[in-house]
Amino acid sequence: MLRRLLFAVILIVGCRPSDRPTVRQSDRIVSLLPSFTEILFAIGAGDRVVGRTTWCDYPPAALDVPSVGDGMPPSIEAVAARKPDLVVLYNSGPNVTAAQQLERIGIRTVLLDMNRLEDLGPATRTLGRLTGHEQQGESLATAMDSLLHHPPPTSTALHTLAFIVWDNPPIIIGAGSYLSQLATLAGARNLFDDIAAPSAQVSLETIAARNPRWIAVLSDSATPPAFARRREWRAVPAVRDGRFLLLQGSLFGRPGPRSAEAVRQLKALLAR
Amino acid sequence: MKWALLFIVAGLALVASVLVGPAGLQSDIVWNLRAPRAVLAFLVGGSLGAAGASLQALVRNPLADPFLLGLSGGAGLGAVLAIALHLPGPWALPIAAFIGALAALVLVYRLGRIGGDVLDPRILLLGGVAVGAFAAAITTAIVSLADAAELRNAFLWLWGGLSSASWDAVVLISVYIPIPLLVLLGASRPLDLLALGEEPARYLGADVEVVKRRVYIAASLLTAAAVAVSGVIGFVGLIVPHLARSTWGHRHRALIPAAFIGGGALLAIADTLARTVVAPRELPVGVVTALIGVPVFALLLRRWTVA
Amino acid sequence: MTDGRGASCVVRSLRYRYAGAHRDALADVSFAVEPGEFHAVLGPNGSGKTTLVRLVLGALRPQAGSATIGDRPAHAWSRQELARIVAVVPQREDNLFPQRVRETVLLGRYPHLSMWGRERPEDHAAVQRALAACDIEQLADRGVWTLSGGEYQRVRIARALAQDPTLLVLDEPGISLDLRHEMGLFELVRSLVDTRGLGVLMITHDLNLAARFADSLLLLNEGRAIAAGTPTDVLTREVVESVFAWPVSMQTVDGRPQMVPLRQSKESV
Repeated sequence: MLRRLLFAVILIVGCRPSDRPTVRQSDRIVSLLPSFTEILFAIGAGDRVVGRTTWCDYPPAALDVPSVGDGMPPSIEAVAARKPDLVVLYNSGPNVTAAQQLERIGIRTVLLDMNRLEDLGPATRTLGRLTGHEQQGESLATAMDSLLHHPPPTSTALHTLAFIVWDNPPIIIGAGSYLSQLATLAGARNLFDDIAAPSAQVSLETIAARNPRWIAVLSDSATPPAFARRREWRAVPAVRDGRFLLLQGSLFGRPGPRSAEAVRQLKALLAR
Repeated sequence: MKWALLFIVAGLALVASVLVGPAGLQSDIVWNLRAPRAVLAFLVGGSLGAAGASLQALVRNPLADPFLLGLSGGAGLGAVLAIALHLPGPWALPIAAFIGALAALVLVYRLGRIGGDVLDPRILLLGGVAVGAFAAAITTAIVSLADAAELRNAFLWLWGGLSSASWDAVVLISVYIPIPLLVLLGASRPLDLLALGEEPARYLGADVEVVKRRVYIAASLLTAAAVAVSGVIGFVGLIVPHLARSTWGHRHRALIPAAFIGGGALLAIADTLARTVVAPRELPVGVVTALIGVPVFALLLRRWTVA
Repeated sequence: MTDGRGASCVVRSLRYRYAGAHRDALADVSFAVEPGEFHAVLGPNGSGKTTLVRLVLGALRPQAGSATIGDRPAHAWSRQELARIVAVVPQREDNLFPQRVRETVLLGRYPHLSMWGRERPEDHAAVQRALAACDIEQLADRGVWTLSGGEYQRVRIARALAQDPTLLVLDEPGISLDLRHEMGLFELVRSLVDTRGLGVLMITHDLNLAARFADSLLLLNEGRAIAAGTPTDVLTREVVESVFAWPVSMQTVDGRPQMVPLRQSKESV
């Protein structure tokens, strides 16, 4: 769903170097990012996850874990109520503050970057170390790294796209987001990769002028988004002709172990 | 002659707004996107200018801005509710914003009425600020409780933008604004008299209560439409009347039309800048008007204090 | 229906009480102002002078008695029609947007203008006449913010004259004016009555100037009319002392009574 993408995307600001965590196994982990939750379950540490955000919906087993809120910002009390010995947070300004507050009440925290696909490897290895699942962590990390090392198929002029996360005002995804990388890996070109930021507001006429072949939106429904019916959006040929890539929120809304699957799905959609 | 100059400036602003943009001069884009956007910017800016000029006379306060009356708070609340409740349809947001603005209008009006039918402009101002703040608080509460990420984009909308402009919107606004504008123009002479105070105005033949009511409602309706279509674009309603007054004086017969044309030109220019200065990215128009408006306002203040 | 030319203002047995007040603001007050007459209303604070003006102008409706202007009750006139024959210079004016003198006097023509019509040559001529009558033609292009208190008061009277009224109502016009300007003001008003045949109703606290310049006086106290008539008839020592609660001595200047307040001797404190 749109909001899941936004949850990930809008928090992608101002990276800071992540802390080097100490080597100690944790038994009760609260994960405050869907990507981390997925990774923890994927490396076999799912049984140690005692708290998650409302957005963490994969794998299905994660839904049995109690939620500590939407994490924006994290509720210190809800997190503390789970009595964790480790809290894993996405590295952003508000979360740095939350981490400091948790540390003050004696809860260990670790802040990890998760903006682009290359962040997956290091995060996975770190989580592997922290949970004593180094081997699983290493193998998963290697698999995710290899995603990046595949030479992307040469994109033909046919497969140009723009990701629209909001319509009024129009907000697109830029090069700084993993979504742009997914597009490249699937053989498509994000026409707004000249913008370094993960997301940015642009004029509608710029979208129309660049004329992407596809408009990609995060959506769990089968129908085109509401803005497709607005007259001014129909100046964009892809909107007028209904060339939408409707990307499932859970799969595309976050970088994670399923990113390879996301690339495959995107390729399939483009091939239609 | 000053009117000729004003029309030339307005014409140039409009033409520039249609011709200048990051997408160049592709005819589709110019016709379908830029031209309606330029016209809409002109109409919205003009509405805000005229509303601002009349409101400053009505509440007898040169610092009055159309958004002081709580309308922007109401519109923002309406917009956020539309998003939070996932109201369907492409027009859900502007309609909800308009209804929110109207609700604020009614609320502030009732607050402003003391003892029967008498509208007290000072209480209008205070009531507007209070209602605006209240609506903003509720809006923030909703944002913090609901789908936070999506609603943060609602705040971007609130900052003002003409990206939703289309010929449909232009037609709608063109049909809607003439009547409130005519009401304001018709109130020109009583507004001149109101500058002396309510009692002297009454003794010079103005039906003060009727005029206050009409001007408040007409100016608020213009502002509500502007907000519904383009979010909160500040400073236009505040600055343009003062700029117009420095050339056309205080006769509202000339001032209101001049504020309309001047406001339209200003917003068309600001929108062009918003589109081009950081291309391919775009700034919210409200940011540009603030960046232009504040230095201009500072200059005006200096002229007053020096004079 | 007459156009109100030569209209007089007649008040009979007027009674008015504000909502929630414990006594009448005015009770059983009668007087008349004809064109060519200068009528002054006097009295201590709270005696009902301003209420009287509001009733005369139809801003309030009396609970008993009548206030008529011309051939109609005061409140039956529409604001604009009334403004064509009665001009008011209220106590306070707070001019929000600074104007030139000529512009602000031109506001006096508004009662004669239609909603959409432009100013006509006769309107500008009326403004010029008003400026001349108040002897401020040389100030016409000055900004009002540059004027002294006395000059500004004249501008306001010029604006009132521009309405081409038959009746001029002034509410405490001399307040905050210095001696020179206050004398000039009264002389101006007197000359307007004498040369233009205006009727003037003036509220003032200045007994002596009222006595010198007015044709008739009305003395109010606590809403009641204590005395009415010529200055000599009204301003006797007994009446003044009882209304103003202070010992005075009455003298005569130019055939008009003038009041001189006496000092309280230390023993009688």
